[in-house]
Amino acid sequence: MCLAGSLFLLWASRDIPQPALVPIGPAFYPRIVLSVTAVLSAAVLAGDFWRRRTAPAAPARVNYRLVLLTFLIFTVYVFVLPQLGYRLSTLLFVGTLQATLAPPRSARDWAIIGAVAGISMLATYYVFERYLNVLLPRGRLTAF
Amino acid sequence: MFAQLFASLGEILQSQYLVPLAIGTLAGLVGGVLPGVTITMTIIIVLPFTFGLDPLAGLAAMTGVYVGGESGGLVTSILLGIPGKPSAVATMFDGFPMARRGEPGRAIWLGTWASFIGGLLGALFLVGATVPLATFALQFGPWEYFSLFVFALSMVAGLTEQSLLKGLLAGTVGMLITVIGSDPIMAVPRFAFGTDFLRSGFQFLPVLIGVFAFAQIMTDLERMASTGPAPAVEAPSLVVSHLAVLKDIVTRPFLLLWSTLVGLLIGVLPAIGGSAANVMAYDQAKKFSKHPEKFGTGIPEGIIASEASNNSNVAGSLVTIMAFGIPGDAVTAVMLGAMTIHGIQPGPLFMTQQPKVAYGLFAAYIVAHPIMIVLQWLLARVYLKIVRVPKAILIPQILLLCVIGAYALNNVMDNVYALLIFGVVGYLLVKLGFPLAPLILGVILGDQIEVNLVRALMTDSDPWLFVTRPISGAMLGLAVFSVAFALWQHRRQYRRPAGPAEAETDF
Repeated sequence: MCLAGSLFLLWASRDIPQPALVPIGPAFYPRIVLSVTAVLSAAVLAGDFWRRRTAPAAPARVNYRLVLLTFLIFTVYVFVLPQLGYRLSTLLFVGTLQATLAPPRSARDWAIIGAVAGISMLATYYVFERYLNVLLPRGRLTAF
Repeated sequence: MFAQLFASLGEILQSQYLVPLAIGTLAGLVGGVLPGVTITMTIIIVLPFTFGLDPLAGLAAMTGVYVGGESGGLVTSILLGIPGKPSAVATMFDGFPMARRGEPGRAIWLGTWASFIGGLLGALFLVGATVPLATFALQFGPWEYFSLFVFALSMVAGLTEQSLLKGLLAGTVGMLITVIGSDPIMAVPRFAFGTDFLRSGFQFLPVLIGVFAFAQIMTDLERMASTGPAPAVEAPSLVVSHLAVLKDIVTRPFLLLWSTLVGLLIGVLPAIGGSAANVMAYDQAKKFSKHPEKFGTGIPEGIIASEASNNSNVAGSLVTIMAFGIPGDAVTAVMLGAMTIHGIQPGPLFMTQQPKVAYGLFAAYIVAHPIMIVLQWLLARVYLKIVRVPKAILIPQILLLCVIGAYALNNVMDNVYALLIFGVVGYLLVKLGFPLAPLILGVILGDQIEVNLVRALMTDSDPWLFVTRPISGAMLGLAVFSVAFALWQHRRQYRRPAGPAEAETDF
């Protein structure tokens, strides 16, 4: 990916305008960095290819399901944030992620999830808006 | 110099600075205690709270996190045998056996007082060395700066535990991130592909937060199902005679001074960090000891060496950022980001242009140590309860504060989208075995490398000046040497059988 990306950007660097009066233009430095990146990427690829042939990696047991779900929930939160506003989307985000990471088994668990989500939303909103003058996002759909 | 320092000490004791410093130290201690929450993560969490503060108050809070974090990590290392952070790994080697032998209080306080003394000895170096080093850096022209930054980058790439090639590639990828958006000299847009999102480029902090926070959190999540919650342990008595503990430490002056020096020197070198200082000081203590065979059985020397070094390491990192504007590690990288938000540029002119902030930072570092002792004493009873806070509660809070931290930079969603993008990038890079420290240093230094390279070539088009100017040539020579040394070291490690994995991942 690094190799393909750097070669593509090297090609795209032709579109960077070159000011007439300046000997070193804005494309000078990116081309150096991109060339070095391309060479290093090719070397890493060759090294990995050689290692894979000589020593196969041992399979590791990891919980990718939780990783994927967390990325998914976070992505939804980031895109919902400007639509629903900080308060509502944060309440939903914290509650959903907590329930995903430790699925609730009783009414008490649900109550804890709700309380933690509510407290974290209210506490951050209060501290940042009131004390630290950070204007948190308002929702286009909710207007708050 | 000392008059200014004493004035700053008086100023930092005022509530507007003392309260953020104490809260930062508390956050650092708690973050250090929690396994899986590194100091970098803690400082990222604290970052958004500092935006609305006076620059010195914000930096005082971050200094508190740094000092507290280095000391907090020893608690779980000693009581549970799980390092709270990578820079407390070596503390575990003797701290845990001493605690299991029935002396948990002695082990905790040996570490805490060694941190305190090592940190204060480090403060002497911080105050004494920053001004001369900054004065030396004032002689630098664009050639020297370019070579210094290349040296820093090559060293960081070379010293990573993974492949040297991947370290160097991560560094250039970091530099590539900085070429997207307007160029720093003529503001010509590059690689924007007609979008406003790319035209403005990527700010450094969302990249740093995304890369480090997500890499850490997602790696923790991968292990979550397999490791389960921290084991329930009954709180042991930590009552101890502090005089006896202090006597244990001061009767080993050479060990204390040497470990402090090791920590300082590693701190001054860019991006190596407390984990290397901790292990290297332990190793040195063992080599110099008359009874090396006793190391690992629960002797005070092991705890004193590792804890004195990781706190003095903080002072070394602060010297590098204040004198040269180069972050010593990821924590000082976040501090650098916070400084730029407040319009402060660390580097050779920092001490003369911002004396209030510079000396205030010295004072905050010094005052954080007694605060750390008081908080450690107050928190000792509740530490094992803090360790048991479930990750399912902790992780959403961390991600939430990452979002606020990125958003609050300019109150725009673009930074939050950048956070998401670089979160994915950071996690993928870690999965593919790329170190993150060179990438971040590349992002921090990329613009500066470009500006100084172009400025040097516009002043004189002869590229040999980079080699023939003495300081610049020496820096480039050191860069070549560090890459060659790393190659030699990697080859040596490749031939050796792999050792046991560390308890925490140090990115």
